[in-house]
Amino acid sequence: MSTIVVIGRLSRHLFFAVIALLMAFPFYWMVTSALKTNDEIWQSPPTLWPKVPLWGNFAEAWHEAPFFRYMGNSIFVAVSIVLLQIINSGMMAYALTHMKFRLKGLFAGVIMFGYMVPATAVYLPGYLVLSELHLLDSYAGLILSNCVSVFSIFLIRQAFLQVPHEMVEAGEVDGSSHLRILWTIIVPITRSSFAVLALITFIDQYNNYFWPMLITKDPNLQLVSAGLRSFFVEGGAYGLKWPLIMAASAFTIAPLLLVFLLAQKTIMGSVNMTAGSSKG
Amino acid sequence: MLFTLPAMIPFVVFWLAPLLYVFYLSFTEWDFMSPEKTFVGLTNYVDLFSNPAFYKALRVTVLFCAGSVLPVIMIGLGLALLMNSKLKGAALYQVLLFSPWVTPTVAVSIVWSWIYEPDVGLANTVLSFLGLAEIGWLHDPKWALVGVLIVTIWKSVGWAMIFYLVALRNVPTDLLEAAGLDGASPFYKFIRITLPLISPTTLFLFIVQIIGALQAYDQINVLTQGGPSGSTRTLLYMYYQSAFESFQIGEASTVAMVLVFICMLLSVVSLGVSKRTTHYQ
Repeated sequence: MSTIVVIGRLSRHLFFAVIALLMAFPFYWMVTSALKTNDEIWQSPPTLWPKVPLWGNFAEAWHEAPFFRYMGNSIFVAVSIVLLQIINSGMMAYALTHMKFRLKGLFAGVIMFGYMVPATAVYLPGYLVLSELHLLDSYAGLILSNCVSVFSIFLIRQAFLQVPHEMVEAGEVDGSSHLRILWTIIVPITRSSFAVLALITFIDQYNNYFWPMLITKDPNLQLVSAGLRSFFVEGGAYGLKWPLIMAASAFTIAPLLLVFLLAQKTIMGSVNMTAGSSKG
Repeated sequence: MLFTLPAMIPFVVFWLAPLLYVFYLSFTEWDFMSPEKTFVGLTNYVDLFSNPAFYKALRVTVLFCAGSVLPVIMIGLGLALLMNSKLKGAALYQVLLFSPWVTPTVAVSIVWSWIYEPDVGLANTVLSFLGLAEIGWLHDPKWALVGVLIVTIWKSVGWAMIFYLVALRNVPTDLLEAAGLDGASPFYKFIRITLPLISPTTLFLFIVQIIGALQAYDQINVLTQGGPSGSTRTLLYMYYQSAFESFQIGEASTVAMVLVFICMLLSVVSLGVSKRTTHYQ
């Protein structure tokens, strides 16, 4: 009996080790390809690890295009959006859960409706709206057009529903304003939901490509994905400089893998909340 | 009421108004440049529904949705089932399997396009090592969609697995034990107890994944740009091309409305299904 258990456990370990290696292999392949010379990368069969790893390729790729700028843009835009979403999702969720006002049902319905509409479908009219507002090619456009997220509102609303309404009433009796109640009483208890909002939104926005690419033509405003893509297509690249392209991909991906490793518990734990918030 | 404004104003400006606008544009003919938008009634819809390119894109979209959503859900569930009972080091496997999900699609698609390189790429090296015929991957209309699907599945299975792990942990063990005492086989227990109890998760993943698949753009843009010969051109990609490459705003808006319609239909159906059949404890 116990030998069967041991064999079963071992084979499961073997299975997951193989699967995990397969899943992670593209990342390994990216790094080793980044370290090869242009000659070696075209060798057949390919080498698993370069004879002479060229760590200088990373520096060379970094200087070949303004990646510092691209990453700075991505981080700046993503952080701004996170802050705005914390504020407006918190206020919206508070209004929906702990306040009474006319049109509340309508507002809740409209937001719910927004949950069903695919964001990409409104990119064309959204582009036209931004151009009317003279927000194309600007940080303001990049940030404002993404500053509200139905997902974030749902997530926070779900958390606020767990907060007993008596706490709000107690605050009102003390004469605190709603703003004060929200930021000093409710937000501290629900901070784990806000942490999830911040991490998921940051990842989404840092990775965002399609929409920011549409609304910015100025290379100085490109986010990192768009910057990487133009380096891939233009930069004399497209197959000619694969090691450098792999190096550039590596340092684009690295910050996210780092964030993920540091906050893996919160990010993977967010699954609980995401699944919960969809049940409304 | 004031509290809703910071969210409602951007929501109306960047979401609701554009939606109404695109609905209006779908009844007009316009090329982005000319000052006049001509009202043409239902012409765009009639044209679209008699356009073979539309049906081809619709077919690719259905294939893309089915080909990404079903494997993600089934593999995700399979991995979760295997990992569910105690396994040392499971946390490490989870991190590795989940990691593709957080990485930028554009960057990993670029890495994959190197893997798919026909002459010395990793994919063909492995195939010839296994004694199989090499494939043109992204250059071959028969295989390009498969190539895009592999990247899409690779990115999401770990994510689906985590959802299922949480769901499986909430299946009460006494129920399974009681069934075991009654002589139920593991397979029977899985079909009759586990599967119904995790059905809300399945439904959720199904809807989220389909809506995601309908909107997939980044990997298609990097890997194939809809080609070769339209074999990876989904409805969304068709929408993008007619709007921002050929400037047929009327046609693009009509495709957008079809996408909106499909998503709303899915949401309504899923609401109905979840009210009717999912088993809450």
